[in-house]
Amino acid sequence: MFGSLKTGDKGKIIDLSHVGHLVQRRLLDLGITEGSEVCVKCVMPFGGPVMIESCGQCVGIRRKEAVQIEVERI
Amino acid sequence: MEIALIGNPNTGKTSLFNNLTGSYEYVGNWSGVTVEKKVGVFKNNIGQLIDLPGVYTLNPLSKDEGVVTSFFLTESVDRLLNILDASQLERNLHLTLQLLEFEKPALIGLNMIDVANKRGIHVDAPKLAKVLGVPVMPVVARSGQGCDKLVDVISTKSIQPANKHLVYYGKEVEEAITAITGEISRKTSHSIRFLAIQYFEGNQYVQNYVNSISNPQRINDIVRNLENKLQARLAGKSLSNFIYLKRKEVIEKIVAEVARKSDSVIPLSEKIDSIISNRFLGMPIFLLLMYFMFMLTFDWLGTPLSNVLDALLTGPVTSGFEAVLSTIHASNFIHDLIIEGLVAGVGGVLVFVPQIFILFFFISLLEDSGYMARVALVMDRIMESVGLNGKAFIPMMIGFGCNVPGIMAARTIETPRERLLTILLTPLMSCSARLPVYALFVGAFFAGHKAFIVLSLYVLGIVVALTLAKVFSKTLLKSETSLFVIELPPYRLPQFQSLWRSTWDKGKGFVRKAGTFIFAGSVFIWLLSYAGPNGLKVDMDHSYLAAVGNIIAPIFDPIGFGTWQASASLITGFLAKEAIISTMNIIYFVPNDASLQGLLANYYTPLAAYSFMVFILLYIPCLATTATIYKETGSKKWTAFSMIYAFVIAYVLSLVIYQGGKLFGLM
Repeated sequence: MFGSLKTGDKGKIIDLSHVGHLVQRRLLDLGITEGSEVCVKCVMPFGGPVMIESCGQCVGIRRKEAVQIEVERI
Repeated sequence: MEIALIGNPNTGKTSLFNNLTGSYEYVGNWSGVTVEKKVGVFKNNIGQLIDLPGVYTLNPLSKDEGVVTSFFLTESVDRLLNILDASQLERNLHLTLQLLEFEKPALIGLNMIDVANKRGIHVDAPKLAKVLGVPVMPVVARSGQGCDKLVDVISTKSIQPANKHLVYYGKEVEEAITAITGEISRKTSHSIRFLAIQYFEGNQYVQNYVNSISNPQRINDIVRNLENKLQARLAGKSLSNFIYLKRKEVIEKIVAEVARKSDSVIPLSEKIDSIISNRFLGMPIFLLLMYFMFMLTFDWLGTPLSNVLDALLTGPVTSGFEAVLSTIHASNFIHDLIIEGLVAGVGGVLVFVPQIFILFFFISLLEDSGYMARVALVMDRIMESVGLNGKAFIPMMIGFGCNVPGIMAARTIETPRERLLTILLTPLMSCSARLPVYALFVGAFFAGHKAFIVLSLYVLGIVVALTLAKVFSKTLLKSETSLFVIELPPYRLPQFQSLWRSTWDKGKGFVRKAGTFIFAGSVFIWLLSYAGPNGLKVDMDHSYLAAVGNIIAPIFDPIGFGTWQASASLITGFLAKEAIISTMNIIYFVPNDASLQGLLANYYTPLAAYSFMVFILLYIPCLATTATIYKETGSKKWTAFSMIYAFVIAYVLSLVIYQGGKLFGLM
């Protein structure tokens, strides 16, 4: 699960379907989908958003959405 | 010839626009800086270039992206210029494939090859051109390298796409496209393949268009039928996802063919990010940066420059006018009009040009460097807790310069509720036109703590906005939907030239307004102060202006400035906030050496001055802002609401500050 990833950890997305529809669409626009490798760059304090990197670009998403993404650690 | 420039956000689209057209347009480095359709003329006059907002796909989520889709559906364009970021080829090609389905002559500008090379990505442009069937020109939009060649190709070559069907969507989809062709062929001039695929993807704009030219029921049947046939393969996913994956397959094949990857180096951007977007340092760095910005604007650089300009205007310029007026034997009326009306009114505003340009310079710097998107990330937690999202902070930051572009920038916010909320609250951001008022009053009353007092007003604006966001989202605008996904573009070292142009572009509006609106307003205000019920050249306390001011002055008595002078300047402040300063300069006209700042001490106590500044900060959006709110919300109700709530809040806060301050024995 995404929640277990720490700053600097890498993972591969295996399921996006639990994430909100709009967020899913946006991530897709940015080329982030099932099979994409992501790396957690930074986690903001007080339950703030996380910054993830995928294929050389950085994207910020909220933590409550991030934890809905199922990933496997690599 | 009309050419549309289109590409993903943060691909250097606006830089390319500037390089191709020679004329300057706004450069930004956060998603969606281009909020309006912009048209420029090519340097060699081959036609017009239309700059569209950056989009990832033609199927829009936000209003900003909808601009592009409706442009494609309603306006005719001769050629498409698609700009690609070579370092993000996979993502960029999704848009390209959709554009090629539109079947207009197209051309690709392959940008950021230098960035890609640094990351170890090498793109073979001729090969890409062959695969896509359209010319691909490598360019470096920031430096302008390759732009001449690009223009040559646009103007000379015939660039009709060669490979018509790059993506084969599978038997079922292709059959459905044929079925739709049967329904709408000869009813539209657009590519039917494009319309059909966008329809399948759930593109609302295209669906409305197709339904308007056909029998909606029959189109709907075709789509349902298609979904049924694909049911097994969709496996619970949407049809749009199916289409996305088909495109992705093709893109992966293309990229494997044209791009070569070697060992990459960690870009500098990520090293900076580990500091700026750091867990705990992010917020302090942001506040420190803001403090630095205000110190530079008000203390270290801005004020000394303003003082020089002021000395120039009240000294040589005024005596120059005096000399000219006396040589041409101008009448007393003309003399007073020019010296007491125009020089005082317009000059009083022009004095603040240096400070405003410094502020705009900083805002441009934040935008161009890519820091804005990080601010949105850092601020999201706070914004979320009041029912907004981090992206709403960007319109607010732009609002510090001018509320009008700030409100327009709210278009990039995807959910209608958050967008409306942002539009309503952006006017509380202290725009640059309010700055002269602060500068004047802090100079007169708080000389020792200029930057601190002004910063307190900016912070107050933000605090009030956030508090109201919480209140409004709990009462008037209840809804759970919130979306926050933001692309964080790599940091780019801003080029001085583009920064200067960007600053000038924003600042020239202020100068122009001084020459037109404030100019006319000054004449009018001066006339009102010159004439009264008893004729011309009356004592100012018996002028029409005083009469008007006196009517509403009692309202402001409880908050510390119940004089007709303050009331009159507040009325003109609705037209433009800087008109407050020109009105005051005319009303408190001081000949010779004494300055307006010195004179103000006779009319205000420091406490009343602070109360007055708070009132100016919040009291009502200016005319241009009000018009923009109406345009963007399309609602008279919300426009009226934005004016009324602001006035009420301003009054209540000033009352608390003034009466509370008096209780604590402040003056």
